[in-house]
Amino acid sequence: MDAASPSVARRAAGWFQHRVETAGAAVLATGATARELWAIWLATCAGVARRASRRHVQGRPRGEIVRQLYWIGNRSLVFIAVTLGFIGMVMAYEACLQLSRVTGDYSQVGGQLLKLDVSDFAPTLTALMLATRVGAGIAAEIGSMKVTEQIDALRMSGVLPIDYLIVPRLLASLVMTLVLSVVGGVVMYGAGGLTAKFSFAVNPGVFFDASQVHGRHVVLMVLKAVAYGAAIPVVAGFCGLRARGSSEGVGWATTAAVIGGSLAVIVLDFVISAIALVILGGDL
Amino acid sequence: MTAPRAGVIAGIGASAVAVAQEVGGIVLLTAEVVRALVPPRIDRRELWKNLHKMANRSVPIVVLTALFAGGLMILQAGPFVKKFGATALAGWAAGYAVLRELGPILIALMFSGRVGANNTAELATMTVTEQLDGLRALAIDPVQFLVVPRVLAMMTALVALTVIGDLVALTGAALVARVMLDIGWSTMYHGFADNLRPFDFLHGIYKAIAFGAAIAVSSCYFGVTVRGGAVGVGRAVNAAVVAAAISIMLLDFFLTYLTG
Amino acid sequence: MTEPAAFIEYRAVDKAFGGPPVLRDLSLAIRRGEVMFIIGTSGVGKSVTIKLLIGLLRIDGGEIWFDGRRVDQLAERALVPLRKRIGMVFQSSTLFDSMTLAENVALPLRKHRRLPAPAALDEARRRLAQVYMADHAERYPAELSDGMRKRAAIARTLALDPEVVLFDEPTTGLDPVSARRIDRLIRELASRLGVTAIVVSHDLTSIFGTADRVALLYQGSVRALATPDGLRASPDPVVQQFITGQSSGPMETPGF
Repeated sequence: MDAASPSVARRAAGWFQHRVETAGAAVLATGATARELWAIWLATCAGVARRASRRHVQGRPRGEIVRQLYWIGNRSLVFIAVTLGFIGMVMAYEACLQLSRVTGDYSQVGGQLLKLDVSDFAPTLTALMLATRVGAGIAAEIGSMKVTEQIDALRMSGVLPIDYLIVPRLLASLVMTLVLSVVGGVVMYGAGGLTAKFSFAVNPGVFFDASQVHGRHVVLMVLKAVAYGAAIPVVAGFCGLRARGSSEGVGWATTAAVIGGSLAVIVLDFVISAIALVILGGDL
Repeated sequence: MTAPRAGVIAGIGASAVAVAQEVGGIVLLTAEVVRALVPPRIDRRELWKNLHKMANRSVPIVVLTALFAGGLMILQAGPFVKKFGATALAGWAAGYAVLRELGPILIALMFSGRVGANNTAELATMTVTEQLDGLRALAIDPVQFLVVPRVLAMMTALVALTVIGDLVALTGAALVARVMLDIGWSTMYHGFADNLRPFDFLHGIYKAIAFGAAIAVSSCYFGVTVRGGAVGVGRAVNAAVVAAAISIMLLDFFLTYLTG
Repeated sequence: MTEPAAFIEYRAVDKAFGGPPVLRDLSLAIRRGEVMFIIGTSGVGKSVTIKLLIGLLRIDGGEIWFDGRRVDQLAERALVPLRKRIGMVFQSSTLFDSMTLAENVALPLRKHRRLPAPAALDEARRRLAQVYMADHAERYPAELSDGMRKRAAIARTLALDPEVVLFDEPTTGLDPVSARRIDRLIRELASRLGVTAIVVSHDLTSIFGTADRVALLYQGSVRALATPDGLRASPDPVVQQFITGQSSGPMETPGF
C-alpha cells in the first residue's frame, strides 16, 4: 500500500494541475477575447465617426441603414409583441397571485408593475429576445460571408468590413431597440392589465396607473435600450467575423452571438441597475 | 414607396402559412419521437455522449446567468421592500420570482442559445454533408438514432441545470443583498425558507421539463430540415433559436395559468 | 423470353424536382453479379438514379423492380430490409465525424446484427483490414485523407454483406493512385464475392478498366447501353464526344 500512495498522490496532483491549467487557459482565452471585442467596439465607433463626417460612403448603396432598420425593426415586431405579451401576462398573474396570498390588496400592483416595466423589464426582455433573433441573424449573415471568403473580397476592394457591415447594423439597432422596447412595454403592460382584470377582477382604472413612474425611470429605460442596442450587433458582428471552416463555423458563430448577446444584456442590466441604485441612494 | 394594401395582406398570409408549416412539421417530429420511445429502444451510447456534452457545456454559462439574474431581482425588489421596512420579505420577493419565473425562463433561454443552437448546427451540418442519408442507407432510422437521444439528453440536462441555477440565483440574490442593500445573510435565508413552498420550486421544474422538450424538438427539427449549404445552417440555427424563445414564452404562460 | 429476369430493373422512370424533368422514361436492367457503370455529364441525373433505388428519393412515374418485387412504392419502414440488401457509398463518404473508423463500421453491426459493442468492434476491424485500413481503425475521419475515408466508407457499407452496392462517384476528387485502388476494390467485390455493383462515375479510366457494361445517361434517359468495347465502337456522336472527352460537339450540357 505504501508503494501505491506516492503514485496515487502524484496522479491526484497531476489531475489537479491539469484542472488549474485548463481553468487558467480559459481565463486567458476569455481575456484575449474580451480585448478583441473591445477592439472591434472601438473600431466600430471610429467607423460611426467616419460615417458621420462623410456625406457619401464609398462602395455602399444608399439606404443600407434604412434596410437594416426594416430588417431589425419591422421583421421583429410580431415576435417582440408575442413574446413580451405573454411574459407580461405571466408577470401580472404571478404578482397578483402572490399578493392574493399575502395581503389581497391589488391597488398598488399596476403602478409598481409599470415602474418596473419601464425601468427594467421592457428594455431588458426586448433586448433578450432581440439578442436571439437579431444577434443570430447578424452572426449567420456575416459568418456565411466570412467562410465563403466574401469578407476577404471586400478587403481586396478597399472597403473596411466593419464600416460596411457592422456600422449600419449598429445605428439601426440603436434606434430599433429603443422603439421596440417602447412597443414591447406597451404590449406587456396592456396584456398584464387584461390578465389582472380577467383573473383577479382588478379594475383597469386602478391597474393602469402611471403615478409611480418618474423621469429617472424613463432615463433608465433609454440608457438600457441604447446600451443593449449597441452591444448586440457588435457582439454578433464580432462572432460572425471570427467564423472559421464551413457550415460548422457558421453554426458556432450563431451560437456564440446568441449567448454573448444575451449575457451582455444581463450583465449590462445588472451594472446599470447597480450604478443607478448607488447614485439614487437606494430608491429605485 | 408605399406597398399596395393587397401586398401587405398577401405577405401576412404567406408568413402565416409558413409558420403553420413549421409548427406542423414540429408536431409531426414530436409524434415520431414519442413513437420511437414506445417501446424504448434508445442508443445508450448516443444518449450518454450527448448528456455529457450538453451538461458540461452549459454549466459555466448557466451559473453566470443565474448569479446576475438573482442579483438583479434583489436590486429591483430590495429598495421597495426596505422602504417599507419589510426586509424579511426581500428573500421571499426575490425567491419566488427566481424559482417560479426568472430562473426557469432565463436558464431555458441560455440553454436554447448554448445547447439548442449548437445541436441545430450539428444536425444541420450532418444533413448537409449527407450523413443523415448515409444513416438511412444503412437502414438506421435517424429519428431513433440521433433525435431521440438528443431530446432526452436536453430535457434531462435542462432540469438539472435549472435546479443548479435556482440555487446559484438565490445565492447571488443573497450576495447582492448583503453587499449593496445591507440585508444580512440570515434575514435572506429566513426570507427564503419561511415563505417559499416546495410547490414553488416544483412549479419551476415542471416548466423546465416543458421548456426542455420544446427547445429539444424545435432544435432537432430545424437541424434536419435544413436546405442549402453554410448559409442554410446559419438560417436553421436562427430559426431554431427564435422558435424556442417563442415556445418558452407561450408554454410559460399556459403552465402558469393552468397550475397556478 | 430466353433472357433471365433482371435482378434490378428501372421501367420508364420519371423524376422532376419542380422544374423540367431530370429523368424521363428511363429504362435500365441490371444483371446479378455484374459491374454496371452509369455515366454522363454533371447534373444529368446519375446520382438521382441510384438514390431512387433505395428510396432516398421518390419517383414521379414508372416502376422500379428488385429481385422480382416492386420497390418504388414502399414506405420508409418497409425499406429497411431492402436497405440491408443494397448498400450505398456516398460521394462525400459520410462517415460520422464523432466516431472512430472502427466505431463507424461497427455501427450497422450493432444495430442490425445485434452484436454487443466489443464483438462489433472486432468484426469492424476485420472489415477494415479487408480494405487495407486496419492500421487506422482507431482514428477519426477528419484526420484522414479522402482516399482513406472512401475506403473506410466502403468497409462500413460492406459490413452487412449486401448483395448490391451502389457507388456515387467513388473516384471523383481522388489522386490517381487512390482512384485505381478503389477500382480494384470494386472489381474484387464483383469477381470474388459476387456482389452486384452499380457505379455512377465520369472517370474514363475507371469506366474502361472496371465495367462489365456501361449505360450513358443523356437528357433524362439511357442513350447507350453496351460493354466498354461496344461503347468505343459506337457510331453515336454523343457517345463519342463523351468518351473522348471533347468540349465541343452535339452534346448539350445543361447548366454549363
